[in-house]
Amino acid sequence: MRRARILFAAVFVVLAGVRAGSAQSLPSGPLELANGQVTVAADVAATIGARDNAPPPECSRRCGAFFNYTDYQHNALRMFRVSLSGAWRPSRRFAFLTEVRSEDGEHFRPYALYFRVRPWAARAFDVQAGRIPPVFGAYSRHVYGPDNWLIGQPLAYQYLTSLRPDAIPASADDLLIMRGRGWLARYPVGSATSGPGVPIITAYQWDVGVEASVATQHIDAAAAVTSGTLSNPRVDDDNDGRQISARVGWKPFVGLVIGGSYAHGEWLNGALRNGLSSVIRSGQRFPQETFGFDAEYSRDYWLVRGEFIRSRWRLPALSSPFIDGPLDATAAFVESRYRFTPRLFAAARLDGLTFSRISSEKFFNGVPTTWDAPVGRVEVGGGVYIQRNLIVRAVVQRNWRDGGFIHKRTFVSGQIAFWF
Amino acid sequence: MKLTHAFTILSCAVLLLGSMQREQRSRAVTGTIRGRVDVRISGTSELRPDVAALGMHAAHDRPDRRRSVVYLETAPRAAFDPSEEQHARMDQRHENFVPHVLPIVAGTTVDFPNDDSTYHSVFSLSKPRPFNLGRYAAGRSKSVRFDEPGIIRVFCDIHSHMNAFILVFTHRYFTVTDEDGRYRLGNVPAGSYTLTVWNETVRGDPPRRAIAIAPEGGDIDADFTIR
Repeated sequence: MRRARILFAAVFVVLAGVRAGSAQSLPSGPLELANGQVTVAADVAATIGARDNAPPPECSRRCGAFFNYTDYQHNALRMFRVSLSGAWRPSRRFAFLTEVRSEDGEHFRPYALYFRVRPWAARAFDVQAGRIPPVFGAYSRHVYGPDNWLIGQPLAYQYLTSLRPDAIPASADDLLIMRGRGWLARYPVGSATSGPGVPIITAYQWDVGVEASVATQHIDAAAAVTSGTLSNPRVDDDNDGRQISARVGWKPFVGLVIGGSYAHGEWLNGALRNGLSSVIRSGQRFPQETFGFDAEYSRDYWLVRGEFIRSRWRLPALSSPFIDGPLDATAAFVESRYRFTPRLFAAARLDGLTFSRISSEKFFNGVPTTWDAPVGRVEVGGGVYIQRNLIVRAVVQRNWRDGGFIHKRTFVSGQIAFWF
Repeated sequence: MKLTHAFTILSCAVLLLGSMQREQRSRAVTGTIRGRVDVRISGTSELRPDVAALGMHAAHDRPDRRRSVVYLETAPRAAFDPSEEQHARMDQRHENFVPHVLPIVAGTTVDFPNDDSTYHSVFSLSKPRPFNLGRYAAGRSKSVRFDEPGIIRVFCDIHSHMNAFILVFTHRYFTVTDEDGRYRLGNVPAGSYTLTVWNETVRGDPPRRAIAIAPEGGDIDADFTIR
C-alpha cells in the first residue's frame, strides 16, 4: 500500500509539472557542475499494472504467475524506479562514472561504479574497472529510458529460472519438482531457505571486474574479467573463480550491427562447493558458459533487433536419478519499433525461452522433460512522447508457460517515464 | 493614330514614374543597429553520463550556446512583403547540428544533410512545426518547410546530446551573433522599435531595449549581457 501511494504521488507530481508548465518546462539535459566536468542525470519511471495474483479457480487460493519478477523480487510491470547517474570527467581521457537505483521505494543500490581511462588519446582503446557494464550481448546495455521501447524485459535478461547458485538439487527429481517455480525455489543441498532463481543474464545487476574495449569504423570488440557470472554478478568473489566474457561487433554498413558474444565463469557458490568436497573431485568446476548472437537493423522509421542466447550450467551429480549432463537454456527474442509521427510509436517483442531435457523416476513417467518450464511471451505496445524526455507508454503482454501453477497470463501495464 | 501615340506616351510616363518611386524607396534612409551580446554561462556538456558504454564516447563537436539571435519585435511594414522562397541548411556534422541556432523567415525550407558516417534521426516536437525525418545515412539529406513563426527545438533520436534551435520569424529583421557575441542588423528604416535578444540559456522574459532610428538614419549601439 505504501509503495502504491509513492507511485501514484510520483505520477501526480510529474503530470502536475507537465500541466503547470509548457511542454518544454522540465529539464531536458543533464545537470552540470564544475564547469561541465561533473554531469548528473536522472531516470524516473512509474509503471502501473494489475497485481500479479489470480483468484480461484485458476489457483486453489490467490497466487502469482511471476512471469515478470526480477532478481530483486519486484514486478517489472508494476514498479516505481528512480535512477541517478553521474560522471566526473577531470580530463578528456579519464572519467569516473556511477549509477544508483531504487525500486519500489526501497533504498538505493549501487548499480555502476567504475573509472574509465583512454591510455592513448588518438586510439579508441579504453579500459574500465570497477562495477562495470556487461560486455555480453546488446540488450543489457540499453535496458531503461528510451532504449527500451516496451515495459517488460526480454526473458533471457529477466525471467527467473529455477537454478540457484547457493542451493542445488541433489537429483533430477529435486530439480523437476521446481519446474516453473523460479521466483521461489528450494533445494535440499546448500541454503535451506527459499529464494529466487537466476535469469540467464541479469539486467538488474552489474558485475565487478576489468574490461577493455577497442573500436574502429566497422569493428568493435570488448573483453572483461569479472568476479561473478552473467546470471549471478557479484561484488565480492564467493568462489575464487573469474568469468571471462567478450563480444565482437561488426558494422558492415550504416544501420546494421551484428555481434557475437561468449562468457565462461565459475558459477556455483564457493561455500556450497566446499561443503561437497567429499562427493566431488578436487578441482572440479561448475561454470556457466554462454554464447550469443545479436543483430540490429534500422532504416527510416523502422528499427529491428534481436538476440539468440544459449547458456549452459554444470551441477554436481549427487544422487539418483542423476543430473547427468549440463543444464542448457536457450532464449531468443526479436523486437521492432515503428515511429508513426514525431510523437507516436508502436513496438512489439516476440520472445521464447526453453530448456534441455533430463530424466526423472518419479515425474513425467520417466519421459525426458525440460528441466524448467519453457516460456513464451508476446508484448505489444506503443508510446507517446509528451516531450523529448517524457514518455507515456502502454503494453499488453501475453505469457505462456509449460509448467508451474499458472500456465497462461495476460498483463496490461502503463508507464510514465522521464529522464534528463 | 494620335490615340496610339498618346497611349504610348502615357505608358512611358507611368513606367518612368514607377521606376522613380522604386529608386526613391531604395534610397530611403535606413540605419544600422550593432553591438555585442555578452553571454556569461558555464558548462557546455549536454552529454549524459554514459554509464552503460564500453568506452569513451566518440569525439563530437559541442554546440556554441553563446550564440544569440538579435531581432526587432516589430518590423517595418515592407518587411512583411512576400519574397522569394528561401532555402537554409542545418548540417549534422561530428554529432552536432551546424549551425546550432538558425533564424529564418517563415516560408523557408531547411535542408538537413547528414555529413557524418553514422545514422542520425532528426526530429522536433515543437508545436509550430513538429517533424520526424527518420534515420538516414551519410550523404543523404531531407528537408522541412517552416511556415509558422515560433521556436523549433531540433533533436536527434539517436544522439541525445544533439540539439539545435530554429527561430522562424515573420519578417527579415534579425541576425545571429558571431563567435565574439557581436552582431550587426542593417537596413533598418527610420522609426521606433523594440530590440530583443534570444539566447537558449535565458529563462523568462528575454532582454529587450527600445531603440529609434532617426529620420536621417545612422548607427545605434546596443549591448546586452546575459548571465
